Amino acid sequence: MTRTVLRVEGLCKSFGGVHALRDVSFRVDEGEVLGLIGPNGSGKSTTVNTLAGIFPPTAGQIFLNDTAIERMPEYSRVARGLARTFQTASVFPEFTVREQITLGCAVTLKSHPASSIFGFGRKAGEAEATAALVADLLRITGLTPVADAPVATISSAQQRFLMIATALAARPAVVLLDEPAAGLVAHERKTLSELIGAIRDRGTSVLVIEHHMALIMEVCDRIVVLNFGGKIAEGPPAEIRADKAVIDAYLGEAA
Amino acid sequence: MKPGLKLLVAGAALAFFVALPQLITVKYYLHLSVLALVWVIAAQGQNLIQGYTGYVSIVQAGFMGIGAYSTALMGLHFDLPVWLTILLAPCVTAIFALATGYPSLRVKGHYFAIVTLAFNMVIFIVLMNFHQLTQGEAGITGIPKPGSRDGWINFRDREVYYYFVLIVAVAMTALAWLIVRSRVGQTLMSIRQNEDLVGAIGIAAWKYKLFAFVVSAMFAGLAGALYAHYQSFINPEIFGVAQSLDAILAVIVGGSGTIAGPVIGAFVVVFLPEYLRFADSFRLILYGLLLVLATIFMPRGIVGTLAVVWSKLERRG
Repeated sequence: MTRTVLRVEGLCKSFGGVHALRDVSFRVDEGEVLGLIGPNGSGKSTTVNTLAGIFPPTAGQIFLNDTAIERMPEYSRVARGLARTFQTASVFPEFTVREQITLGCAVTLKSHPASSIFGFGRKAGEAEATAALVADLLRITGLTPVADAPVATISSAQQRFLMIATALAARPAVVLLDEPAAGLVAHERKTLSELIGAIRDRGTSVLVIEHHMALIMEVCDRIVVLNFGGKIAEGPPAEIRADKAVIDAYLGEAA
Repeated sequence: MKPGLKLLVAGAALAFFVALPQLITVKYYLHLSVLALVWVIAAQGQNLIQGYTGYVSIVQAGFMGIGAYSTALMGLHFDLPVWLTILLAPCVTAIFALATGYPSLRVKGHYFAIVTLAFNMVIFIVLMNFHQLTQGEAGITGIPKPGSRDGWINFRDREVYYYFVLIVAVAMTALAWLIVRSRVGQTLMSIRQNEDLVGAIGIAAWKYKLFAFVVSAMFAGLAGALYAHYQSFINPEIFGVAQSLDAILAVIVGGSGTIAGPVIGAFVVVFLPEYLRFADSFRLILYGLLLVLATIFMPRGIVGTLAVVWSKLERRG
C-alpha cells in the first residue's frame, strides 16, 4: 500500500466575509505527482499559502507524514519536509547559483550554525555531502553551466529552475510547485516536465499548481479541481478531462 | 579582488595603524585616532545589522552609552576589576538588545528602525534624568584606567591606550569577518536580499536578525566601555540619536556590507568634522553637505567605489 505524505482534511480559509476555501480535502501519496487546477479565484493560491504556512487556516487540518502542521511556522514545515516555490521567480540576486542552492541545504544540516563561524564542531563529511547534492541538483535542473554566475545575471527561466533546485535542496518529502510553467517557452516546458518526472523518481512527491493544461495532463498521476473555493473533482487525468463539472467550470469544450 | 591581494591590503592597513602613533606629531590627532578606533568597533557592529542584514538600527550610540555606564557603575559600586567590567559591559548591552530586538524583529520592515530610534531616545532621557544612578548631565568622573598604577603596562599613556584599542578593534574586525564569511553570514545577507525566500527555505529569519542585532549591540557596548575608561569621564551627550546617525553614516560612507568599510567610515566621521573647523559655525552644515554628496555620488561607499574602479582596471590591465 502506498503511504500518504501530505493529507489535507476539511481545510477552510476565510478573509473577512470571503470564503476562499471551503472544506477542501485531498492527499498526496509517496512518489506521486498531484495536480491542483481551477479557474482564477478558485482558491489554488490560498491552498498553497495555507499549506506553506503563510497564513493559518480558519478550520481544518494539514498532516505531513501524519504530523499536524497547520499551526507551525513556515520554516518548521520546511524542516519537516514540505518545500515550496513561488509564482514569480524568488531568488537571492547577489549570490551565485551554487551559493543559493547551498543555502537551501542549510535546513538539513546537523552541525550547529555557529560551527561555521569558528570552524570547529562540524559534522564529518557534511560539507562533502552538501556539495554532492548541490552538484546533482545543478545537473537535473540544467544549471551546471551557470553554477558560478551571479543569480541576477541568469535568465528568468533559469531563475525559475533555480527556485525549484533551491526547494529540493531541503530534501523535502513533498514539494509545492506554484505555477512553475509561467513564462516558460515550449522547450523550457519540456525540460520542466522532465524535471518533474526526475523529482518523482528521486522519491519526492509533487503538488503542482498550473494553468498549462497540456503540462498538467502529461505529468500528473491525479488531479484535484477547485472552483469557488470548493473541490469539484478528483481523479486521474483522463477522468478529469471527461468530467462534466470540470468542463463547465474550467476546461471548456475545446479541452 | 583576489584573496591574496586582499590579505596584502589588510596587512598594509595593519602596518599603517601600528605605525600611526609614530607618524603623528600633534598629540590631539592621536586622541582622535583612539576615538576613531573606538568607532571602528561600534561601526563594525552597526555594519552587521545594517550592512549585511539590511535592517537599519538607530540605537548604536545608545548601546555605547549602556556599555559605558555599565562598566563605570559596576566598577564604582561593586568595586570590580576594570578588565572584568569591560567584559561584562557588552553582556549587559546584549540583554537590552534582546529586549528591544525580540518584539521588533519578529516582523518585517520598518518597525525595527522606529523601535530602535525610540529606544535610543529612552536611553538618553534615562541617562539625563536618573540622577541617583547616572548623575544626570554632570556625568560620571574618575572612571579608572585598566591595569594598576605601577603595572608593567601604563594605560594612562595615550599611546599605550591607542595600541590597546587597536588590538581590540582588530580582534572585533576579525570576528566580524569570521561571522560574515560563515553560513550565518550567508543567511544574514540572504535576509537582506529576499526575506520571504529565507522563510521558504526553512530558515527562521527572525532568529538570525536577532543574533545580528544582539552581536551588533555587544560591539557597541564594548566600544562604549573602552571609551569610558579612555576618557575617565562620561555624560549622556555623546550617546544620543545624533551619534547613532554617525554610526549609520560611518557604514554608508565607508562601504555598507564590506569589512573595510566601517574602518574607513569610522575615521571619516571622527576626523572630517575636525578638518572642517576652518568653516567655523558653518562646520556642521558643510559636514552634512559633504555626507549627502558622498551618499549621492558614492552610494556603495568608499570601499564599494574603489572596488568598482579596481575591477575596471583589472579588466583593462
